[in-house]
Amino acid sequence: MKHKPLWVKIIRMLFVALILMWSAFPILLVVVSSFKLTKDIFALPQKFLFVPTLQNYVLLNQLWPQFFENMFNSLIITLGATLLTIIVTTMAGYVYSRFRNTTLAASAFFIIFVRMLPPIVITIPLFPLVNILKINDTHFVLIILYSTFFVSLSTYIMKAFIDQVPKSLEEMAFVDGANLWQTLTRITLPLTVQGIIASAVFVFIFSWNEFLFAFIFTTTKAKTTPLIISEMLGAVIGVDWGPVFAAATLQMVPIVIFVVLVQKFLIAGLTAGSVKG
Amino acid sequence: MKIRWVHYLMVSPVQLLVLLVIFVPSVWVIWLSLLEYSYGTEAKFVGLRNYIFIATDPTFWRAFLNTFIIVNVVVYGELAIAMGIAVLFAGGVPFRRMMISIVLMPYAISPVIAVIIWRYLLEPERGIVQLLLLSMGLPEIEWTINPVHAMSVIILLSLWLHIPFTFIILYTSILAIPEELYEAAKIDGAGALQEFWHITLPTLVPAMLVALLFRYIFAFRIFSEVWLLTEGGPVRTTEVLALFLYRYGFRYHELGVASATGWAMVLASLIIATFYLRQMYKRMFSNET
Repeated sequence: MKHKPLWVKIIRMLFVALILMWSAFPILLVVVSSFKLTKDIFALPQKFLFVPTLQNYVLLNQLWPQFFENMFNSLIITLGATLLTIIVTTMAGYVYSRFRNTTLAASAFFIIFVRMLPPIVITIPLFPLVNILKINDTHFVLIILYSTFFVSLSTYIMKAFIDQVPKSLEEMAFVDGANLWQTLTRITLPLTVQGIIASAVFVFIFSWNEFLFAFIFTTTKAKTTPLIISEMLGAVIGVDWGPVFAAATLQMVPIVIFVVLVQKFLIAGLTAGSVKG
Repeated sequence: MKIRWVHYLMVSPVQLLVLLVIFVPSVWVIWLSLLEYSYGTEAKFVGLRNYIFIATDPTFWRAFLNTFIIVNVVVYGELAIAMGIAVLFAGGVPFRRMMISIVLMPYAISPVIAVIIWRYLLEPERGIVQLLLLSMGLPEIEWTINPVHAMSVIILLSLWLHIPFTFIILYTSILAIPEELYEAAKIDGAGALQEFWHITLPTLVPAMLVALLFRYIFAFRIFSEVWLLTEGGPVRTTEVLALFLYRYGFRYHELGVASATGWAMVLASLIIATFYLRQMYKRMFSNET
């Protein structure tokens, strides 16, 4: 930014302001509006100085009491899918990092290739199957689905991170008589915590926000937050925005904060995953 | 270290998940697409009749065209905008870390919430964007009744949600370009535009291809945004392929037709991805000579 003429600086700042407007303003507006009285939500000019009220949150609790159960479902499903993904992809990533043969190469290609298939296609055969197995409307079915769609990316991320741990460290442990489990848990994994977080971030965000599978495979007991919010949006013609904004704020503020906190890992994971995968 | 059976065992959970949850059902769909079949009725083998049905249905082709338009505008639009932001940021911005966080924020937003946000901003007669347009003497966006406007809003929404992904890929790649390249160019008297054209852009081609491929494959599946914003309306004019499939599979319960659509989607997305990647490669090579 040194030695640049003033007009270049001004134009740059204008663009920065534009980007801020585009990315943050719509989100901020919803959060701020969730604390306004219904009559003020569309009041112009937009009031940014007002007495905040929790009226919309009270209304949300009255009109949609199940909302908080749905948030709890989302939490269980998100944590479940994240945990499952971490466990299975750490194991797979380790093997792909340390060994090479044609079977492994073919299977590594297979998980990427399959990932190209559109998810909606599998709902047609899976829907009746899930009903027959009586696992429809359970946390289990969404945990499995969400995890499956992220194991490919996570495996590649884990492999990229485990590649950075020197093989010699593990060999020394084996020489000292440690078995595979001990070597993995005491040597390799502590050195790849960053990779584990990086690969978990994606499935976490996805599971918290996903709509399509929740829409098709849950009805009442395992309903997630995005699904109940979509129903709130559909149920109110000439939308009653107050409670909708309250629900939207509760759903998105935690995940936005999460993304800001794990930004470093998100970037690292995307770089590792896209360069290799 | 030699590979032992325990190592194959360690890979198997990932392989089994992908195989049983995605691969087998996807292949099973080929068989289903040859049947006339609904819940609770006897399945009947009808050969290619489902494929003929969709191939002669104008709403299918409308959905195909809509998907094609959305995918192309969104993917290339994203690439251009994300490139602009990445170059701007690489040149230095105040509060860089915070600014990156802000650009990334839409990545954290569910499509459901994104629809809420934009429906609010575009609410007829009182949404902020509508009022802004009116105050500039422009007409309102009539996305509830005008198909072209509705498609534009779907595209806007997709851009908003997915720019962060492309941005990160491009931005990290720009940061990885060695500083010496730019210094050498400066000595040769290159301006900012020439630097971008002759250094930044060619070096970024691999990253651009990765971003394009990923986004192509993912944009092709678009469902939630369209379903929640327009439900394919007005009168099925903004329907996309995933929505067409959903309608036949879960509303009309014609699973054969839905399966045929599913397979058409699989094939189309693979063919288009291959086609575009080859075109990109060709263009790259002709540029370099």
